[in-house]
Amino acid sequence: MAFDPRHLKVFANFCAAAADAMAFTLMRTAHSAFVKETEDFSCQVVSREGLAFANPRSFGAPWYSGIDYGPLLARFETYRDGDICITNDVYEGHVATHTPDIHIWKPVFHAGRIACFVVGHIHNTDVGGAVPASLSRSLTEIEQEGLRIPPVKLVENGRLNTFVLAAIRSNVRAPDQNIGDIQAQIASVNVGERKMAEIVHRFGFDGFMAGVDAILDYADRQARAIIRRIPDGDYFFADYADEDSVGGQPCRVALTLSVRGDEVVLDYTGSDPQLGSSLNMPTGGRERHPLVMVGLTYVLWTLDNSLLLNAGTLRPTRAVLPEGSVVNCQMPAAVGMRSLTCAMTQIVTVGAFAQAMPDLIPTASPGGNAIMNIKTQGRAGRPVMASIGPVGGGGGATPFADGSDGAGGATGFLRNTPIEISEAEVPIRFLRYGLEPDTGAPGRYRGGLSAVMEFEVAAPETVVTARNRNRSVMGSWGLHGGSPGRISLFLRNPGRADAVSLGNTDLVACAPGDVIRVVGPGAGGWGDPFRRSPEEVLTDVVRGAVSVASARADYGVVIADRAVDVAATTAIRSSRAAQPEEAVVFSPERIAFETIWTRERYDLLTDFLARQPVTWRFFLKHRVFAAVAASSQASPVSDQMRAIFADLTQRYGLPA
Amino acid sequence: MTIRIGVDVGGSFTDFAVLDTTSGKVTTLKVFSRPDDPGAEIMLALDILRDRDGLHADAVTGFAHGTTVGINTVIQRNGEALALFTTRNFEDVLEVARLKIPQIHNLYSRRPAPLIRRECVFGIDERTLASGDILAAPRRDDVTAAVEAARALGCRGMVIAFLHAYRNPANEQAVKAMIAEIAPDMAVVASAETWPIIREYERTITAVISGYVRPRVSHYLDRFEDRLRQRGVVCPLLITKSNGGVMGLDQARAECVQMILSGTASGVIGAGHLARASGFDRVLSLDIGGTSADVAVIVDGEPQYGVGETIGDFHIHIPSVSVSSVGQGGGSIAWVDDLGVLQVGPKSAGSTPGPACYGRGGVAPTITDAMAVQNLIGHLPLGYGAVSVDHAAARAAFAPLAERLDSPVELVAADVLAIAVSGMFAEVSGLISRFAIDPREFHLFAFGGAGPMLACFLARELDLKGIVVPPAPGVVSAFGGLIADLKNDFIATLYREATSEAMEEVAGVFGTLVGRARAWLEQQGHEGPGALRLSADMRYAGQSFEIETPIESTWVDSPDLDSLRSAFHGEHARVYGHADTEGAVQIVNLRVVIMAATPKPSLVKPDGATGPLQPTLTVAAHFYGRPHQVPVFVRDDIRPGHRVPSPAIIAQDDTTTVIPPGFATEVDRFGNLVITRDRR
Repeated sequence: MAFDPRHLKVFANFCAAAADAMAFTLMRTAHSAFVKETEDFSCQVVSREGLAFANPRSFGAPWYSGIDYGPLLARFETYRDGDICITNDVYEGHVATHTPDIHIWKPVFHAGRIACFVVGHIHNTDVGGAVPASLSRSLTEIEQEGLRIPPVKLVENGRLNTFVLAAIRSNVRAPDQNIGDIQAQIASVNVGERKMAEIVHRFGFDGFMAGVDAILDYADRQARAIIRRIPDGDYFFADYADEDSVGGQPCRVALTLSVRGDEVVLDYTGSDPQLGSSLNMPTGGRERHPLVMVGLTYVLWTLDNSLLLNAGTLRPTRAVLPEGSVVNCQMPAAVGMRSLTCAMTQIVTVGAFAQAMPDLIPTASPGGNAIMNIKTQGRAGRPVMASIGPVGGGGGATPFADGSDGAGGATGFLRNTPIEISEAEVPIRFLRYGLEPDTGAPGRYRGGLSAVMEFEVAAPETVVTARNRNRSVMGSWGLHGGSPGRISLFLRNPGRADAVSLGNTDLVACAPGDVIRVVGPGAGGWGDPFRRSPEEVLTDVVRGAVSVASARADYGVVIADRAVDVAATTAIRSSRAAQPEEAVVFSPERIAFETIWTRERYDLLTDFLARQPVTWRFFLKHRVFAAVAASSQASPVSDQMRAIFADLTQRYGLPA
Repeated sequence: MTIRIGVDVGGSFTDFAVLDTTSGKVTTLKVFSRPDDPGAEIMLALDILRDRDGLHADAVTGFAHGTTVGINTVIQRNGEALALFTTRNFEDVLEVARLKIPQIHNLYSRRPAPLIRRECVFGIDERTLASGDILAAPRRDDVTAAVEAARALGCRGMVIAFLHAYRNPANEQAVKAMIAEIAPDMAVVASAETWPIIREYERTITAVISGYVRPRVSHYLDRFEDRLRQRGVVCPLLITKSNGGVMGLDQARAECVQMILSGTASGVIGAGHLARASGFDRVLSLDIGGTSADVAVIVDGEPQYGVGETIGDFHIHIPSVSVSSVGQGGGSIAWVDDLGVLQVGPKSAGSTPGPACYGRGGVAPTITDAMAVQNLIGHLPLGYGAVSVDHAAARAAFAPLAERLDSPVELVAADVLAIAVSGMFAEVSGLISRFAIDPREFHLFAFGGAGPMLACFLARELDLKGIVVPPAPGVVSAFGGLIADLKNDFIATLYREATSEAMEEVAGVFGTLVGRARAWLEQQGHEGPGALRLSADMRYAGQSFEIETPIESTWVDSPDLDSLRSAFHGEHARVYGHADTEGAVQIVNLRVVIMAATPKPSLVKPDGATGPLQPTLTVAAHFYGRPHQVPVFVRDDIRPGHRVPSPAIIAQDDTTTVIPPGFATEVDRFGNLVITRDRR
């Protein structure tokens, strides 16, 4: 049955209203702070096959609009009216992506037939496991990351499966919160089911099914229209997270974006093997897994703000996710911190598209938005734990404007915690919170300024954590002659005799009087800074975003007494030798690293590791890195690497 | 004879409700607004009232009005050149705001530029701790330097917003006193004076908006007062407030921020009063104009209150009547996208050039035009003859869409209406979920120029009890000003766990707030004690959102912690569906609202029907793409006791009520149209 396109918008509005109603119900009744403060939840209506076709319009995590529940729905042969299913198992169906995300789904029946499903997840604060809140970079196996609930009917024949709730209760740290959240989820899908049943009734079963197809097709066609504007070609981009394990090597995420007509392939071959830390992404190799499509969704929506986001949006796209890699890990790899790696996939996606559409795509925001938490004690030793907000870099510069200050681009969706609230809750005193001058990388358009936070600890046995922090080893990149971003900083007692730079550490113990200073990583610039108009540089100097020294050194603009010294500026700017605008400008740290670890060397490593058993790869990667560091760089790379591989395969009895 | 006048100055029209205090009769008047010369429309209306109705200025004993001068100043960004003084090292408070960017999927998205340029923000060496203890007091040399620098940058007003000033405003006050000596010509707004809430960005932006709109607002109020006084109006002049009350001009000049949402708030207050007085205890008010469609939830005449209402690019955090935008109103433009799908909005023809059918320069097909194409409006003069409907122009505007979609214009118009209604439905449905109300207990109370035109179409999608259209839907907002009470809010931050030790502080703070409240009422020239309402914003320890919980003064007078706590548990359960009776409860704010009731006219009961209702004419119109012969009635002919058949069109000066097939309409004793789904 064909669906009349004149009714598509009405159909879409009704379905979005149902998804909104689910989101409102969830926000209103959930117990977890994650739901109310960071909106880390999702609600969708999915087709009988599992494809999301309706999302809440302005709530929830921005990553899951195109989710496919298919593998989970298929776990049960039959559904009856009223059934509700649950799971948080990342290795069953590959819909949940770390253990705190508890997903549920419920069929919507019409006259004995399933018309669609209503689904959703909540990030629970804690699901048990080795550490409070269940997430730590240091964990190495999924078993350490808390309770795993296999796909199971939570409600069947109208009866609640109390064993499931009892099992949760006896495995988590604050069971009332989890149980409360699950009840909120049940309320949410029940509301969604009722609303969707009304819509099916209104359009009739066949009309409804046609509507679902039409709304997916519409998003598909919109996405294809956008992709057709992108020149055909293969575009490679790679970037590195700081460490693949505590004190380890850089973690590489590599992407080849292939555009052909109105279709796109995201090939992640060349990304690191799955890691002995929790940075792995459990995608199951599913070619439209939401976690590897976040960057693409941002890019397409940026190119056309009228794009409808649902599973249809992703239809013209496909990802290649090598098995046993960081983007497609196997049991029992730990996955808790997959959001850090997901941020890297977004960055390489933006980088690849920037090569395809140099005039439209901005520099990526640098990622590594540190979620600052503090555990300390109040008077009388009462323990206090609080999240004091994210501290990250700004948005990347765009081809038309400066990046957004403090947060922006793909990492701009978090709210901060007011200083007054943090100080009222936690016995710490803030010394500074705001934007750090000279952190927006120079360019014709400048990167957004980084956030800076500095506070003094007042009690002993205080622990400060900076979850998700990144970019403390290699800065982010600029485009078309725009400068790269500087690295992020995490310092204890800056400017004092006992000052310590904490590098990529994400956890630090503090004593009374200790001062912690965090500065987000710099966001890259766009275009040659010498082409930025002196007036714009002056504006930045006057507003304190750029120092007089940087104006001179980076922009070639001389400023004195709040005015541009035109003669001196002209002299500097014209004396610089003409230089080609590099399409991508990497940070000095990255250039140094890639002097050794060239793309050729990585290609050889990737091929070698692909031939080895999955469980050996992380170990072998580290052995290869050690061998490369120890060997002289005299012989050609291929010979040198072959020798290293031969040595390793022989030593460990592995395939050549 | 004496009269009281309520005025609502809107984007297109200015509405007047004139109450004869002796007879209780309300007369209405509508004139074009004069954005070019604000206040001129009021003078014009006074002329008309004198000439038309023999009402003279000296008979006016009450005058309340709402104005959009404040909000327009923010939207058009033409307010005061301000400097902001913050605690040193926290100067980026406006730049960072709450960090989140407006469009989270858009890589280009940036927060809107602040109302104060960054170079006009000055950090002052001072610090108050969360406890209220002062770690460092401001120094005069530091402040002098900042004031001079600000002046050099052309700043003409100053806002002071220091950390923890909600707890202890001493440093803000000290700096304010210093500025008064250093630069007596500078207007100064301090954050804790404006609205002393915890959360530095929210408190700062509220104070900034107050300072930003002040020169324009006070200039407007001065002229307004001068003109009325010259005219011989001697009564106190009142301004409607965002909180749904009214205040005197002196407070309005000093606290401009209080009046910023006065128009929308008084509409809700008017709707609440009219609905309650007519016996409808639970209503959703639906106010649709040319550029906006707003819904509010009203229970027992009381609207919901909220904070964080939108003002241009910003949110303001003073208590306001909570109104949700559900669409862009009758001016939303229909179009066909590249993939051949029909869309409505977000572009709007607004009030200028307006819908094509109004013949004031508009050519794009709007929702109002869709109604004209279906021949559902424009049979009798609209807007007191100010506007007539050109059906041919509406059809011409729709012709390109019809051609593109290869479909008759009437059908396309029906589809456009369906899309617009489905969009409003989605918003209202969200509101119903957010407030957790049962729509089957609520009537839709429709007013504004286009509310009664679209109400039935919207109500058909929502499972509501019915629709109410009052006798004069166009002047509900003006009427709201007429009956609004004197009302002011007071707040103090406690931020303390609710324990028996805390009850002493609770009593002390409430005592202070009540004292200030009474003093305020006295300043307004009111005699008598007024009514007080006490409440506390509370939450479970660790939550980030508070719930305002009503407090009985007896719990404070003789400390009753249990009642206070259980009131919160009850409120939490009501709003969120669960409560943790063992959990630690935190009191964040204490609030006092003082009110002095304005006498309310009892509703006039029009004469009952003396004979059967006769249509003035019958027209060929379309509903949902199907042709119908539809009777057109004149609203004045419709009397209590009448039943209106469906479909029907009911025309009156300020609006058209459109009743599609399948509805039953009765007329209650107050002349309200009470429309229900015909379930036969």
